[in-house]
Amino acid sequence: MLERTQAEWDRELLLSAGLNPDRRDVLKAGAGAAAVATLGLGPILPSKEVQAFAYEPYPRDDQLTTVVTSCAHNCGSRHALVAHKKGDVIVRLSADDGRYQEGGEYGKDTEEEPQVRACLRGRSYRSRLYSPERLLYPMKRVGKRGEGKFKRVSWDEALTDIAERMVYLKGKYGPTALLDQSYAGASYGVLHKSDQIEGLLGRFLGMFGCRTSSWSVPSYQGTTFSSRMTFGTIQDGNEDDTFAHTKLMIMWGWNPAYTFHGGNTFYYMRLAKQRGCKFVCVDPQYTDSAAAYDAWWIPIKPNTDAAMMAGMAHYILANNLHDQEFINKFVLGMDAGTMPDWAKDRENFKDYIFGKYDGQPKTPEWAEPICGVKAEDIKKLADMYATTKPAALKASWSPGRNAYGEQYNRMAAALQAMTGNIGVLGGCAEGVGKAWHAEGTAYPYDEFANVWYASLKSDRWAHCVLNYPNVSREELGLWPRDDQLDGQPPNIRGIFWQGSDWLNQLTNINKEIKALRKLEAEGEKESLLVCMDSTITPTGIWADYLLPIATHFERHDVALPWYKGHYYIHRPKVIEPLGESKTDFQVFTELAFRLGFGEKYNPRAARNYFERNDETDEAYLLAWWTNRVQHHQGVTMSWNDFKNYGIYKFKLDRPHVAFQDNVEKGVPWSTPSGKIEIFSQQLARITDWKRTSYGYEIPAIPKWIEPWESLNATDKTATHPFHVISPHPRHRTHSIFNNIPWLRETYEQEVTINASDAKKLGVKTGDTVEVFNDRGSCVVPVYVTERCMPGVLVLHEGSWMDLDGKGRDLSGNPDFLTLDNPSPAGAFAYNTVLANIRKTDAEHRPGWDRLATSRSHVFRRDL
Amino acid sequence: MAEPKDKAKIKEAVKRKKREVYTPVKPDMQLGFIHNNVDCIGCRACEMACKDKNGLPPGPRFRRVMYVEGGTYPDVYAYKVNMSCNHCAEPACLPTCPTGAIYKRQKDGIVDIDSSLCIGCRRCEAACPFGAPQYIPEQNIVSKCNMCVDEIDAGRKPYCVMGCMMRVLDIGPIDQLLNGTHETKARGPNDQVVRQVKNMADPALTNPSIVFVPHSKGAVKNDG
Repeated sequence: MLERTQAEWDRELLLSAGLNPDRRDVLKAGAGAAAVATLGLGPILPSKEVQAFAYEPYPRDDQLTTVVTSCAHNCGSRHALVAHKKGDVIVRLSADDGRYQEGGEYGKDTEEEPQVRACLRGRSYRSRLYSPERLLYPMKRVGKRGEGKFKRVSWDEALTDIAERMVYLKGKYGPTALLDQSYAGASYGVLHKSDQIEGLLGRFLGMFGCRTSSWSVPSYQGTTFSSRMTFGTIQDGNEDDTFAHTKLMIMWGWNPAYTFHGGNTFYYMRLAKQRGCKFVCVDPQYTDSAAAYDAWWIPIKPNTDAAMMAGMAHYILANNLHDQEFINKFVLGMDAGTMPDWAKDRENFKDYIFGKYDGQPKTPEWAEPICGVKAEDIKKLADMYATTKPAALKASWSPGRNAYGEQYNRMAAALQAMTGNIGVLGGCAEGVGKAWHAEGTAYPYDEFANVWYASLKSDRWAHCVLNYPNVSREELGLWPRDDQLDGQPPNIRGIFWQGSDWLNQLTNINKEIKALRKLEAEGEKESLLVCMDSTITPTGIWADYLLPIATHFERHDVALPWYKGHYYIHRPKVIEPLGESKTDFQVFTELAFRLGFGEKYNPRAARNYFERNDETDEAYLLAWWTNRVQHHQGVTMSWNDFKNYGIYKFKLDRPHVAFQDNVEKGVPWSTPSGKIEIFSQQLARITDWKRTSYGYEIPAIPKWIEPWESLNATDKTATHPFHVISPHPRHRTHSIFNNIPWLRETYEQEVTINASDAKKLGVKTGDTVEVFNDRGSCVVPVYVTERCMPGVLVLHEGSWMDLDGKGRDLSGNPDFLTLDNPSPAGAFAYNTVLANIRKTDAEHRPGWDRLATSRSHVFRRDL
Repeated sequence: MAEPKDKAKIKEAVKRKKREVYTPVKPDMQLGFIHNNVDCIGCRACEMACKDKNGLPPGPRFRRVMYVEGGTYPDVYAYKVNMSCNHCAEPACLPTCPTGAIYKRQKDGIVDIDSSLCIGCRRCEAACPFGAPQYIPEQNIVSKCNMCVDEIDAGRKPYCVMGCMMRVLDIGPIDQLLNGTHETKARGPNDQVVRQVKNMADPALTNPSIVFVPHSKGAVKNDG
């Protein structure tokens, strides 16, 4: 096919060469000398025979082996990658082009079955796979912790040491000594998964009988709490294709141009725009989403979202724009009439908004000074939202990553409910936003999954270590138990980081480092830090053992979208694992065998699973496909056909809208009352808050609660006048990909500041500044723009910390500034940070390597 | 400000200069790009796809998404202009090349550099008004977008186009892209296309094979 095309093209060229005999470019492009001679061109011979493609030798896609696979990281999306390999080397990656599903053909890209194209992070994967930061061999620390000095050891030595230390620590310090800090960095497949609840590590440590788990999710715990309390589930999301059907989309702290948000959400929103949908962006930044969807931008002071929403609720209720019929039918506690009988004397939402209990009506005028949003704008937005049908208030996670962030999400749910935008196509009840349910686990998921002996709020571990045993259960947010371990703070002596860079990613890094130093001071044998990852990470630098884990290109699995999109992507072993890397399932299985429970941990595995895993993994996946996908989900395609196609796209009978059956067929919600609980009966019945995992009181109805740090805290803004927010970056998935030069040359770690603030400080774009507060400081270049609200600094999370010896981080990691004080519901207060900024002579180090390329420029051009 | 320039005079000068240097290839059909400046979210998946496809080190960027922003808080705007090589009808790079390494395909007007002839003198880099030629120090050559000719010849589209998550970047016969007869997702149902957006070199210089759906703040008046 290719050759014929080439020959045809050559003929064309020869023909034109005859017409223009003295054109060098054509001559060069012409075929060999013989062919030229026949056209009578005489002695002029081309210096070199040139093919259509100049860079010979160059392997074309059709000459390479094509393997369909996917990206793997914890971004909320999951898209197809197509590896083109020669021998055991991936030469390049492409993405879904419509060919890799049943009935597919090149270019097929319909609204029902769109291509699942990978984002920039996914497309850069080859660079991560073959990066100099790859871990290839087990390594053992030889210097002090954090010094970064390691020596290569054998797997046998590393695993023997680790197993021995595990037994010792469990025996001496009890069943809570080992802290599970696995997270979704390494693995999100059905077979190899790093996760607190469904993960491989949790099941391994639980079976071993020594595990402290981390229960709060850094990204969206406030939102999770809200969705559970209000709707009884976190599956409150619509599928991506429903976003094409809305008439008004309010992106509240939501920037899908950066997060992509699963499936084709961003693309369906473009279709909505073409169909006349209006967009609003409530955000301290004029984001690229605001720009691309041509949104009305409403800048808002960080951490004041619940107040603005209360103002909107007041306007809607006061002007009778709410859907009383919907409220009466489906909502609990919106007003006095919908309160449960047993709680008629308790606070209801409407009366709270009207100021019955505290004498303060939550009017738009009341909200104006709190939020920095004009009352007129609050009213206008409330009016738009209440009168446009259907309208989607997409209350994203980031404003929930705050002090009392759960109140923002609960308040959003109240607005969604009072306007009747729940359960209808084009509306939105998100929230967490998980939608279509994928069959998520192919390995044993049984009574040993998520066994723990203590469970704390994830960013309280350092506080626990530093204050043990004089630390209260409410400070740690300990999950209640029914046995004698209830309320006992864990005696943490070891940490397993599986696919987790949590030292770099949790709050208040300086405090975490102090905790590690304290463990070290207790003696070499008295603690254990194990990091399992495919590259070195800022967390791994602190580990005692670095275990090289095979990437998802090097093991057999199936990818599933965990957030939005309805498809499975087969993920075969594309290449053999680099170096001596093993899958995390292999490592845990081998450790389990050594500790005596290998057969229980991995029932399909033989004793030599560490050397040979292909057949076993295949057996797990085949069983998963047969028992779960075919049996539960009614898929008729065979496992082998799926493997041949690469992608299975589900065709849904109707667009998946959360709670559609509840509204249309009267199916009750999974809450105690079966209704949307704006008044949470579960919360209202709690009397002893200390004995809950929350630790501190949470109101039964959504309320505005002043955060501990904000631009309204005038006592603190005198010394720290800027509010720092740390949203998800586009060029990294949290901290993953920070080391990829391709990505680093497209974006830069920088602190975004409004032009008027910059003028006052005398800084301009490119200047290096120190952002600091009492908890720490980091060094980073400035990006001056009009697109950011005055008083706000934007610093993306996830840069790889790089300490300068004076306690400063040179990479610009905002978690040196954050406070390890989670909200009662467990929300990380990542965005509740005041800081100051000053010019510095210190050198910013964007990565651990030196990259001598220019950044991409943002042009400010008004002219 | 200098006096207003005589555009006709400049056009004539450009024409004369071209005549003196070489005879432009008139391709059977000219392929070109279309990019929607507004709907582009600026994610740069196209750039990554391009880097990976062409095996580029950090530094040279065949495709470049440029971020343009303006206004005063809170009335601001932003849009993206996405360019690689525009495979110009009258490429400024081509005649500057002392070794004749640059050529334009008869079939579809794709302009490429034969890297085996390139001596890394970087004259083309200076000549191009759009910044398309990219110097690769490791190899001492200049290289640039060739619209993935291998993919074109295999009947497919370039990697950047197939990588676009928003479907705002596409290729097609440039005359059809310009008159709106070529079916493409890059152009929305109500969108018009233009040949030039603000702060971009005058298309009259090289006749670039690219059209844009412009942002209202990026539109150029009297666009030809």
